[in-house]
Amino acid sequence: MDRSSDLLLCIRDVYKIYVMGGQEVRALDGVSLDVHVGEFVAVMGPSGSGKSTLMNLIGCLDVPDSGSYLIDGAEVSTLDEYELARIRNKKIGFVFQGFNLIARTTALENVELPLMYGRQKNRTERATAALTRVGLGDRLDHKSSELSGGQQQRVAIARAIVSQPRLILADEPTGNISTLQSEEIMQIFQELNEDGVTIVMVTHEEDIARHCKRRVEMRDGQVVSDQPIENRLLAKDVLLELKKPRESKVSVLLPGA
Amino acid sequence: MAVIEYFRLAIRSLNSNKMRTALTMLGIIIGVAVTILVVAIGQGATKSVTDQINGLGTNLLMIRQGPREMRLTAASRNAPAQSQNTLTLLDSRTIAKQFPESILGVAPQVRGNVQVRLNGANATSTVLGSTPEYLVVNNFTMRAGRFFTNYEDQGNLKVCVVGNTVAENLTGKGETDLTGQILSVNKSNYTVIGMLAPKGTGTGGPDPDDVVMMPITPAMQRVLGVKNISGISIACTSPEMMPLAQQQITSLLRQRHHLHPPFPQNDDFQVMNQTDLLARSQSVTGTMTSLLTAVAIISLIVGGIGIMNIMLVSVTERTREVGIRKAIGATPRDILMQFLIEASIISVLGGIIGVVCGVLGTILLASIAGWSTMVSPTALGIALVVSASVGIFFGIYPARKAASMNPIQALRYE
Repeated sequence: MDRSSDLLLCIRDVYKIYVMGGQEVRALDGVSLDVHVGEFVAVMGPSGSGKSTLMNLIGCLDVPDSGSYLIDGAEVSTLDEYELARIRNKKIGFVFQGFNLIARTTALENVELPLMYGRQKNRTERATAALTRVGLGDRLDHKSSELSGGQQQRVAIARAIVSQPRLILADEPTGNISTLQSEEIMQIFQELNEDGVTIVMVTHEEDIARHCKRRVEMRDGQVVSDQPIENRLLAKDVLLELKKPRESKVSVLLPGA
Repeated sequence: MAVIEYFRLAIRSLNSNKMRTALTMLGIIIGVAVTILVVAIGQGATKSVTDQINGLGTNLLMIRQGPREMRLTAASRNAPAQSQNTLTLLDSRTIAKQFPESILGVAPQVRGNVQVRLNGANATSTVLGSTPEYLVVNNFTMRAGRFFTNYEDQGNLKVCVVGNTVAENLTGKGETDLTGQILSVNKSNYTVIGMLAPKGTGTGGPDPDDVVMMPITPAMQRVLGVKNISGISIACTSPEMMPLAQQQITSLLRQRHHLHPPFPQNDDFQVMNQTDLLARSQSVTGTMTSLLTAVAIISLIVGGIGIMNIMLVSVTERTREVGIRKAIGATPRDILMQFLIEASIISVLGGIIGVVCGVLGTILLASIAGWSTMVSPTALGIALVVSASVGIFFGIYPARKAASMNPIQALRYE
């Protein structure tokens, strides 16, 4: 099957080397990775394995020392700061572990920001639609301090999807919130993925990774395993189970049950 | 991003830190207000001195002793006794006699500080000896009694005419009529024969009403014990006659004082007209104004450094916010503008408030201290422009710092 036409990310032989305290750290040591449109990839690995560096690279926050990285057919390693900012704005939506909403600012204003930087029109309507989609249509004017962790993360997701990017990058999106809220977040991601949005997510939680479609494992700056996920969890089902009496919850989470 | 959006961002951020914004603004407010105040006082002083000199009349010539290079300063105006005592009463009388076609009146003057007593009350004042022509030449009028006469001068009689400030210092009330009373001047008794109409003071300068006037002969011989006069005021017959009079007086005095060329380097006196006096007073007030302006500029710079300081703190504090904004697509320019406009709003708003405070302060000062002041629209405009540029100048470094942040490190900042 020829899938080159829907190749969204194409990473070839990428190196990123830092010098810390006089010592050379090979954060990315010859990484190659392809991600096609519609994929849902979990990037896993211990801390120091290079997954954060990889995410920064994919998110166009950083450029490789050597190697090639194409996003949507555009070579990133030669772009300047302004072009990188444009790609981040148009093609990528970020979801962070710490939510990273702008303080003292309402949900709506936070979601409008990417549209503002992208000089887009109908900001309020589009931001309202995005917030409604993540189930916060009634919390438009709440400031981030007035929202729960799960709600804040949903605002962050709304902000990530509002400019309709092709790729969503999530860095430990369920790291700071409860199990129930995590499932709600994963449900939103799975729905977005169904609608054709490509998602790349860094996580160290096995349960969360099992919601994805593909699992990439890194160690010492290299990809050590890359395979499809079997027995994929659907957040919709997990949520149903979670809302049932406690005893039956375990059966869904255990593989092969 | 549209400019209006930068303004919205900046205003929201300033609003969320009201106290800090207000204190930072205070630096600029003080700077601008001080500038306005200082310039208003400077210009007011210039104007009042100019008015005073203009009030002397266009026909007036002044002769002072000393070479032309000597500059008139606030200090030497009160102390005319300089190293060269060259002008004599005879000089004055010769001038009065020789040029009737060009000169209307001649008033020689001596001045000195004296102790005055009245019924046990003590005060210091200035004694001013002259001739009856003084009234005409210097535009003085009487409010009670009469001025002294040539008869009293020639007779070396002990009479005097006093100004309101002397009356106020001795009796507590400026309006008191001392005519007929005996005034002790340096322990010698003088009969008060009249009261001078008050002239009022301008800004700075000596109080023209703090004066005891008497005929020049007793003033020189009895009170001050001097042989020379300190200056001569001359009223010309018409403004057209002034150049002629100036020339006549100059050559007469050079001859009388046995002076040799080159002139005017060797002159031991100066003949000045109104224009000369204006030029001199302007050079004095000009120096004062530039000095005060320097102080004002320094205070504006200090205010600007305050802005830079706070903006640096603000940038550091909001490192993470900068990281978030960059991650979702803000360009370096977007970040630069956000912080720069914040700094500019502080300085421009501070400038406007400063202008208001400065103008109010000027009005207050004028009404309470009675100083004459003048607020010029030019000064207001300059203060605003300067304060805005201060904000942009001192805001650019912190804003560039924010704009050049690495988004990855900024996002990781705790």
